[in-house]
Amino acid sequence: MVLAAISNPTSITSCPSRRLSRRKSQSYPRPVPTMSNQVPKSALSVSVNSIADYPDGRTCECFDLHNELVPYGKAWAWQKELVRQKKASIQSDGDCPDTLIVLQHQPVYTMGTGSSEEYLNFDMKNAPFDVHRTERGGEVTYHGPGQLVMYPIINLRNHKMDLHWYLRSLEEVVLRALLSAFSIKASRLEGFTGIWVGDEKLAAIGIRVSQWIAYHGLALNVTADLTPFQWIIPCGIRNRRVGSIKGILREASLSVNCGAGDIFVPRERDLVDIASDALIEAFVEVFQLEVHRKPLTDAFLRGKSL
Amino acid sequence: MAARMLWASRAAGYLRISVPHRGFATVLKDLKYCDSHEWAKVEGSSATVGITDHAQDHLGDVVYVELPEVGASVTQGEGFGAVESVKATSDINSPVSGKVVEVNEELSNSPGLINSSPYEQGWIIKVDISDAGQLNNLMDADKYSKFCEEEDAKH
Repeated sequence: MVLAAISNPTSITSCPSRRLSRRKSQSYPRPVPTMSNQVPKSALSVSVNSIADYPDGRTCECFDLHNELVPYGKAWAWQKELVRQKKASIQSDGDCPDTLIVLQHQPVYTMGTGSSEEYLNFDMKNAPFDVHRTERGGEVTYHGPGQLVMYPIINLRNHKMDLHWYLRSLEEVVLRALLSAFSIKASRLEGFTGIWVGDEKLAAIGIRVSQWIAYHGLALNVTADLTPFQWIIPCGIRNRRVGSIKGILREASLSVNCGAGDIFVPRERDLVDIASDALIEAFVEVFQLEVHRKPLTDAFLRGKSL
Repeated sequence: MAARMLWASRAAGYLRISVPHRGFATVLKDLKYCDSHEWAKVEGSSATVGITDHAQDHLGDVVYVELPEVGASVTQGEGFGAVESVKATSDINSPVSGKVVEVNEELSNSPGLINSSPYEQGWIIKVDISDAGQLNNLMDADKYSKFCEEEDAKH
């Protein structure tokens, strides 16, 4: 029972209404690893584990701000400070804990290290929103309300010192979350890092690695207004579109004939909550970490003004 | 690709170093290495710096190189630039301290030189070394080869 990509509506065989209800109190079924057959299996070294299987139980502090609109500059500074702290920790103790931040941003465009202004459909002097040139990889993208942004700040020395593995793992996190929470069977597209449903990109990824501490991360469109993407060539990719979970679910609900009832699509705010929980859950599984949620005040108390 | 493998095994034979059986990452004998996978070719008081074959192999196709300015100072163990390979940008750390006297401008047009020729045409900066004593902190070819093997074996 899987919502196929919108190009194959006839393969939907039953109403997914139960799956789309709030899942907070339920335990997740073990997700099926849905790897696109466009990516050769040998390129993927992410093993499937259940939540209980962590002999070493590495911990990760999690700042879950998924309903907060955090100004980009502040989140960026926070990340860089965390990276600084981790490097210092590695110098003194030989190790550092991993950190995961989940939040939303006010509308903003960000560009990566090698980003070209040719992918902006506006003059930098007259930009519709702030534009930040950052140190992550990848081309220009948009962040804004309704889009979940995940910043794992992790020591790859404790995972795998392999950037390709890390990128594929971040993709795996999104794939699992989309499947388990929304029954959306998304896929990778070889040569185009990110997560796709048909020719629509739902999640973009761009990272920076400094002495094997990875930061920046991924952005998943949940209920975001996608109009600002039209003012750029997102990620420098022409001829493809940007999508969102809300868009996929709405199109699916319009095209499915359920007979007795309508498909229940949660309210927008619930979609964001569900997606956030699913992302964190998937992150825990893929990276085999025990997540310790830190309250918001803890982040503020550390003296980093947000 | 085949020609490169031939070159690599011939070079390995010539220089009598063991090529790690993981891929065919080469390690050149007369260079110095640091544990963040950069190499330094020291000639008198100056050094040419780049990233190793092992590093470029792990990174994948380099699409962009962030170069420092000529005249910038670099410090051993600290970042001086970056390389971007699809969606991921990583720091390059300097194996030596000193002043940058030349940067490889070719990399702006052809960042892939780092992949195809990490020790020759893919050189990144040339540095006037300020502290020759720090060279003792670097590894020689054998030690670096072993280091790579151990690092790969861990994962």
